[in-house]
Amino acid sequence: MTMSARDAGYEDSFRLFVESRSAALLRTAVLLSGGDRHAAEDLLQNALVKALGRWHRIDEPEAYVRQVLYRQQIGRWRLKWRRREVSVSVPPEAKAAEDGAAAADLRVVLRAALGRLTARQRTVLVLRYFEDLPEAEVASLLGCSVGTVRSTTHRSLARLRTLAPELAALAPEVDEPVHPRPVEVGP
Amino acid sequence: MDDMVRSALRDMAEETGPPTGDLAGRVVAARRRRRTRTVVGAALATTAAVIASVLAVPALGGDDTPQLASQTRTDDVVAHPKQSPPRELIAAGRTALAAYAITENVKAPQDSRIRRKTWYLLDQESGKYVKTDKWSVVDVAPGMRTAVVLEQQLPTRRIGLLDLLTGEIERWIPVEQGVAGVEFSPDGRKVVATTYSENPDRLFKLDYDLNADGKLNDYDWDKNTSYRTGFYVLDVDSGEGSWSEVPVRHDEHGMVEVNLRQDFAFTDSGKLVYSGLMVEPGNRYYDFAGKETSAPANEKHLDWSVEARLSPNGKLAAGGFAGGARTTASEIIDPYTGKRLHKTRGQQLLAWADDNRLIAWDIAPDTGEFRQQLVMVTIGSDKVVPLSGFLKGTDGSSGRWSPVFTTR
Repeated sequence: MTMSARDAGYEDSFRLFVESRSAALLRTAVLLSGGDRHAAEDLLQNALVKALGRWHRIDEPEAYVRQVLYRQQIGRWRLKWRRREVSVSVPPEAKAAEDGAAAADLRVVLRAALGRLTARQRTVLVLRYFEDLPEAEVASLLGCSVGTVRSTTHRSLARLRTLAPELAALAPEVDEPVHPRPVEVGP
Repeated sequence: MDDMVRSALRDMAEETGPPTGDLAGRVVAARRRRRTRTVVGAALATTAAVIASVLAVPALGGDDTPQLASQTRTDDVVAHPKQSPPRELIAAGRTALAAYAITENVKAPQDSRIRRKTWYLLDQESGKYVKTDKWSVVDVAPGMRTAVVLEQQLPTRRIGLLDLLTGEIERWIPVEQGVAGVEFSPDGRKVVATTYSENPDRLFKLDYDLNADGKLNDYDWDKNTSYRTGFYVLDVDSGEGSWSEVPVRHDEHGMVEVNLRQDFAFTDSGKLVYSGLMVEPGNRYYDFAGKETSAPANEKHLDWSVEARLSPNGKLAAGGFAGGARTTASEIIDPYTGKRLHKTRGQQLLAWADDNRLIAWDIAPDTGEFRQQLVMVTIGSDKVVPLSGFLKGTDGSSGRWSPVFTTR
């Protein structure tokens, strides 16, 4: 119920860590949450609570917290724990790209579409394209095979094209047909 | 396509501002409340568990602790300006409304009345305030997982630790001296329990017409009596501690120097306890063995009736009313000198949201003293953010509720 003296001693270094790294960690959490800032703050706070619990045993706090973020996000999705509407600032259908649409508009469309991916699809894309991690490392972080990372990446990109057809013109077709799926309610 | 995804993700990340409020403080508070539960480590050590499909990735190990409703509301300000009394969590910065009470006078033997409280405690399962008439006194620990409670019959010889997630009593701490007041230390590790020989919430019938309505039916507390006997400082984990007798003193006119209910509380450092006084010097300080000691340098100028006391960083202190006939304002003082540093909005300062903002009662412009609502005020700004709806009725009626704040 209360903190031991040892924990209290680690509190200062924990606070320093949060102060210096929380903005960067929150950015990742926002991406994992598909742009839902509230969900992202929840995700980060929970990860930090876990980290604080074993602070004295963690060698690389940032790597640890990031792994907790990724896995927690996927775990949440799997368990349908605390369902929450994913809020996207612009509904994709309201932003049908017209011929010659500006790149900025396409980015808006793409962002909205990212918000409509499943949590695991988004997590894999964030790891591959935002954190720039090789497939093997993503597999190790998420506890799955390299093949699964590869196929999830592939399907996630395909789903983005379905959700935002105007992107298809800019990107090559996928090998396999993608069936439209109902929009999922996020984690 | 890869590059577009990459750049869209980067854009989204760049637009994300830093976390709101004191994130580390919220995490530390949440962790403290979780410590009784076994926390199995998160899954870093389980790299051998290679799962064949992402679909089958196990839930992250290490969270057998249920989520508290207050932890799911991480917004800097959680307001319900139409709710009075509040139904759902109210919070600002690091601080949240953990509970509130509605007081009414109920009949008691010997033609007396008891000032009886009905409590509304934050249910950490639903995030709503839930009514209970079981408890007479309640305080809530930082992190809002545990409350310390006393039963209705005061003084009582057991102190309850209530789990706000399950609504169940976790443990009773038995005491030899009758207790009628309890309050957590700032870190939630200790409780100070004020002992009384009789119920300090009892009102006696007056032999004069207090409210001048032509009827001899008014009740008030005995202004020249104190049943207070001393205090316990108890360790929450072990329930151990000691009792110190603190005899009530009288001033040169023979009047008791404290109110009928005048509970002890911890100082900001949590190292001493103090009692407010009706007379100068305003406060008296004691160590945990009951020995009277001098005031901490940064608390010498604090008024015990101003609940907000010191700012989280200890550099500022909440002061008293500084408004005029029809305007409300409060002062912020230098805790070491007592000198006014700022004048801020708010009629009565209740708790600090962070080092620059406070939660206060305030009235709507040009309305009466009793039509108050909870607001957040900012030092150096006229901005007032409503947090709750307005109190209904005049002082003492059932539309009025008294808040208990703690770190969320």
